[in-house]
Amino acid sequence: MIRSNPEHLIRDSMARFVDKEVIPQAQQIDASGEFPMELFRKVGEMGVFGIRYPRNKGGSGGNTTLYCIIHEELARGLMSLAAVSAMQCLMGTNFLFHFGTQEMHENFFLPAMKGEKIPCFCLTEPEAGSDLGAVTTLAQRTKDGFVINGMKTWVTNGPIADFYTVLCQTDPAKKLRGLNFFFVPRETPGVSVSQPFETLGTRTTRMSEVAFTNVHIPFEFMLGREGEGVSNLMSILSEIRAMTAALAIGLLRASMADAIQYAKERMAFGRPIGRYQLIQAKIANMATELEAARLLTYRATKMIDDKTPCLKEATMAKYFATEAACKAADEATRIFGAYGYSMEYTVQRYYRDSRFLLYGGGTHEVLQTNIARWAGL
Amino acid sequence: MDSIVLIKQVPDTTEVQLDPKTGNLIREGLKSIINPDDAHALEAALTLKDRFGGKVTALSMGPMQAIDVITEALGMGADAGVLLTDRAFAGADTWATSFTLARAIQQVGSWDLVFCGRQAIDGDTAQIGPQVADWLGIPQAAYVFAIESVNPKHITVKRRLEDGYERLQCRLPALITVIGEMNTPRFPRVDRLLAGCREKAPIRVFNAADIGVKTREVGLEGSLTHVIKTFAPKFKREGKILEGGKESVVRELIQRLKASEGATACRAFASACEL
Repeated sequence: MIRSNPEHLIRDSMARFVDKEVIPQAQQIDASGEFPMELFRKVGEMGVFGIRYPRNKGGSGGNTTLYCIIHEELARGLMSLAAVSAMQCLMGTNFLFHFGTQEMHENFFLPAMKGEKIPCFCLTEPEAGSDLGAVTTLAQRTKDGFVINGMKTWVTNGPIADFYTVLCQTDPAKKLRGLNFFFVPRETPGVSVSQPFETLGTRTTRMSEVAFTNVHIPFEFMLGREGEGVSNLMSILSEIRAMTAALAIGLLRASMADAIQYAKERMAFGRPIGRYQLIQAKIANMATELEAARLLTYRATKMIDDKTPCLKEATMAKYFATEAACKAADEATRIFGAYGYSMEYTVQRYYRDSRFLLYGGGTHEVLQTNIARWAGL
Repeated sequence: MDSIVLIKQVPDTTEVQLDPKTGNLIREGLKSIINPDDAHALEAALTLKDRFGGKVTALSMGPMQAIDVITEALGMGADAGVLLTDRAFAGADTWATSFTLARAIQQVGSWDLVFCGRQAIDGDTAQIGPQVADWLGIPQAAYVFAIESVNPKHITVKRRLEDGYERLQCRLPALITVIGEMNTPRFPRVDRLLAGCREKAPIRVFNAADIGVKTREVGLEGSLTHVIKTFAPKFKREGKILEGGKESVVRELIQRLKASEGATACRAFASACEL
């Protein structure tokens, strides 16, 4: 039976979309600081948001490898679009998909698959990030449900979201076992959102604080069985890290491609600067680290697809690919010389956006601690 | 309104490079795509389907890897695909290709319209569509950039001419060749692409026997023309400053243009100057 290879086909298809629709307007979108709603809807129309979910439940029937391929390509075009799309596919909708009621599925999950509703994931607090045990947002049980009080910060999509998946403590005495996820629609009384943060990179991704003040929700809005919030989060942590690695690969590719192009055109002392060995060394390092990042990342995604535990592999991929992307973006600005300092050129955007990758899915300081422990230290 | 769309897999480049020794296309590093005009033809068929319903079948002739353009067509919204692949089809000129495509179209079932791109970027002949219409014995409209109306019996289109356009009404079934200004092809949906990669995907694969043709009628053997040599023309700019009086310089310029191996227009210009 002759059939196409879905990975090649979907990569080529996304690459064409990025080349035709995203890259030509990426600089202008970034400069405007406005959320690219039109592009976001187009990505939704292509069925991207359902890539991780089965077809018979409103998804597109793909897997983690395809999810990462798509977002690597999107990140090559515009990191803020890729980041929001990645959130839509994974953290924003995963718990709703697995643990939501039929009504939530129809009214929120399916519209989110089309890009008609925007989800977000509220985990970080002013005093709690990687340290989940420090989460203080409280969901207190009442006779007819829960009352949520607390504050979340660095909420991607916070200002534009239609619904939130919120990590809350239900019993502080139980520490990590007291953490649970809750579904909170935006219009629920007591939900308030701050002004969007001014950020260094991914400037069109809206991030904010979200405050919950006496927010009443029914029992069925708890997503998952009580006490399993952390284990449910751990079940997608490898995927979050592999996805972040894929975003990094996209940014690395963009940095390298633009640097190569510039090095071929820019003349110094009578010849293109790409003819000088110090420039060649920078490109050689980017190219080598790109290949290494690809191998680490797509090994992890294949393990996820095979349902093989791979938190170590995904963590290493995220750590390595992101560091490589940050380095490549930095080197690209140096290859551009003073033009790398100009807002007119793309490399300054890559440099700023690369910093976004350092924090999502765990800071590298925490990741390195984990990796050292897994190495036997 | 059921349609068949002929699509070709071509290298993704408008700057074809040939190996100077063999004359063959250098394919290394080149991706393959649906021929751009064919993507517009597919979009035209899908737009009609969106408005009036019906079924769209994408049909391609090529090596086995041409399955990718069929799958991409399914991703864009085609309902079914047919791949014509057989070693016997190799080396076909437009005569043999159009004959093979026409025979395959007759196998596909009922249809009202056949859509084709104006021409392929790797061959640039613009002959396949009109020839297929001839083999099928149906009316054709080439260089179409707008469909004005369709009813069960007729289609009215606008076709581009050098100095304007022509409105044309054809009875159905008919064949339309489409130019790029007609529409913007949609991007494939990932769920449809994935469905198109599955074993159960509605793709049929036909060989010569399946469409009832003899090997001597198709491919190189069935071709009326044979390519003897392929080469890249050499373009070399040579500057030459003519010196002397105005009249002698102009005369020499005209003589040089007449003797040149360059474009016909140059020689015609030189002859006109002499008159």
